[in-house]
Amino acid sequence: MMYGLKVVLRHLLGTDIADRNLAVYPDDTFIVSYPRSGNTWTRFLIANLVFPSEKVTFANIERLVPDSAALSNRVLKRIPRPRIIKSHQYFDPRYHRVLYIVRDPRDLVLSYYNFQRKYRQIADDYPLTDYVDDFAGGRLISADWGTWGENVASWIYTRQNQNRFLLVRYEDMKSNTVQQLRRMAAFLGLEPTTERLTQVIEASSSQRMREMERTESEHWVATKGHRKDIPFVGAAMSGRWQSDLPGPLVSKIESTWGNLMTTLGYPLMASEPSQPYSILR
Amino acid sequence: MKYKARIGIYRHLGQLHRNLGRNEMIHKLIYGMKLLLGRDTPGRNLTVREDDVFISSYPKSGNTWTRFLVANLIHPQEAVTFLNIDHIVPDPDLRSRNFLKNCPRPRVMKSHHPFDPRYKRVICIVRDPRDVALSQYHFQIKRGLIKTGHPMEEFVQRFVAGETNEYGSWGQNVGSWLIARHHTPGFLLLRYEDLKERPEEGLAQIAGLLGLEVDGGQLARAVELSSADRMRKLEKLQAGKWASTRETRKDLAFVRSAVAGEWKSGLPHDAVAQIERAWGHIMRVLGYETVTTATTAHGEGNPIPLALMEIPLNDVRT
Repeated sequence: MMYGLKVVLRHLLGTDIADRNLAVYPDDTFIVSYPRSGNTWTRFLIANLVFPSEKVTFANIERLVPDSAALSNRVLKRIPRPRIIKSHQYFDPRYHRVLYIVRDPRDLVLSYYNFQRKYRQIADDYPLTDYVDDFAGGRLISADWGTWGENVASWIYTRQNQNRFLLVRYEDMKSNTVQQLRRMAAFLGLEPTTERLTQVIEASSSQRMREMERTESEHWVATKGHRKDIPFVGAAMSGRWQSDLPGPLVSKIESTWGNLMTTLGYPLMASEPSQPYSILR
Repeated sequence: MKYKARIGIYRHLGQLHRNLGRNEMIHKLIYGMKLLLGRDTPGRNLTVREDDVFISSYPKSGNTWTRFLVANLIHPQEAVTFLNIDHIVPDPDLRSRNFLKNCPRPRVMKSHHPFDPRYKRVICIVRDPRDVALSQYHFQIKRGLIKTGHPMEEFVQRFVAGETNEYGSWGQNVGSWLIARHHTPGFLLLRYEDLKERPEEGLAQIAGLLGLEVDGGQLARAVELSSADRMRKLEKLQAGKWASTRETRKDLAFVRSAVAGEWKSGLPHDAVAQIERAWGHIMRVLGYETVTTATTAHGEGNPIPLALMEIPLNDVRT
């Protein structure tokens, strides 16, 4: 009979994590991505852009661009509207305005591997081969948000024809940050000068974020109490897979999502996608 | 409980009371009690099990009929009616968490939700959106959400925008399942129209997904017990007791025409064009021929190649 007093109390106090149960307002804007796709960097860029009077840090990012997977509905209700919210959710028809960030899954898996070791979700010596297998097969914690392919495709396929949806590739953000940030600003209804964009980008640089992480990681809900020898802010590079991901593991990912990767403009190492008749395996 | 923690909770409750006002507080308390007793309806908080099977469709796409077919197949000991269907193939949006927890496994459930990665075995029923629009229009009149004679064009406009229910638009709902799961193990795509034409064939495929060995006699029996005629007779007797019809107009039927292609005579040309403009690409890959010249509009700023939109679904048509 008992579901657990804890659950009931959490409900009564409104302290349960929002995530899929987030109370959505029609004027909300969401920064959505699969984990380790540059979401936190984007949050910093947007927060610096939208709140010029604030010095954006890990200590106040949850107040400026809150994370629906880390905060409760009760806290999120108090964020002034219109809210800009971070999310990892797969397609949700209630999200009206969505900025979706996508990243090459071959880089993503390397970043996620380090991340899960940081959070001790896998052992330090967990074989990368098994890990890539789990990633492609949807057996990691992140599979609650679907596999990489399911998450990405569920948004793009349902929303790409609409003006309230903006797709941004992490790789383009890295190679031409000004241009991509200007697109995002336009999406949010802002027209910043190039000088302003440069300031925002400077204030959100990976170097600066690394410095802030060193001093503030105990003030941020995502890193508080976790090991410090592996940083949250990773390599912040694109194309690392070419040197760090062994060939067979690259093939594993490409045979799983080759069609979708090609569609997104991520050239495959293999000349042909192995399954020409399905976008996803 | 430690004294300090208790004070903390009282303070929280007091604050909550002031913030929410009395009614919401009472509502929360009642829901809290339900949670404690397992009487809440889990909806999307359902604890999904690996062997769960979901009959998934957009509303008014033949979900109830498919439920009857499946229920009559897996539950041959008694004929399925509107009074026991919610027990045999329950809806997690309507049944309590306790009930769902105690259902014999593998559970077969009904769902209208768009893509959910936790659902591993899915029977996905799709229907021509032009017929779906017509069917939803009539059902909304029955439910008293719109009046008799409500302008169809206005309704279809909201239908295309996905504003007639909470499950996304037809294209988003169907498209999210197709793109994520089509051609993957555990996913069975069936067109309502094919199921109408050859119900036993479709039901045999469903039996395959459920891992059941059935013979022609069992299939024929299930189809017979789920015929539109029989469902209409049952509705006459039981509409007042079934959760989905209890509070709706009794002069209009839940089991309506149950035919394919009614839109050709029942849907104005403009409404057809609206639907085809929005979802022509998905309709064509599903084998629903478009009749207007409208082409799918492509949004600005998202130069995704058409390849992603044109997922090959050729096996659906054969």
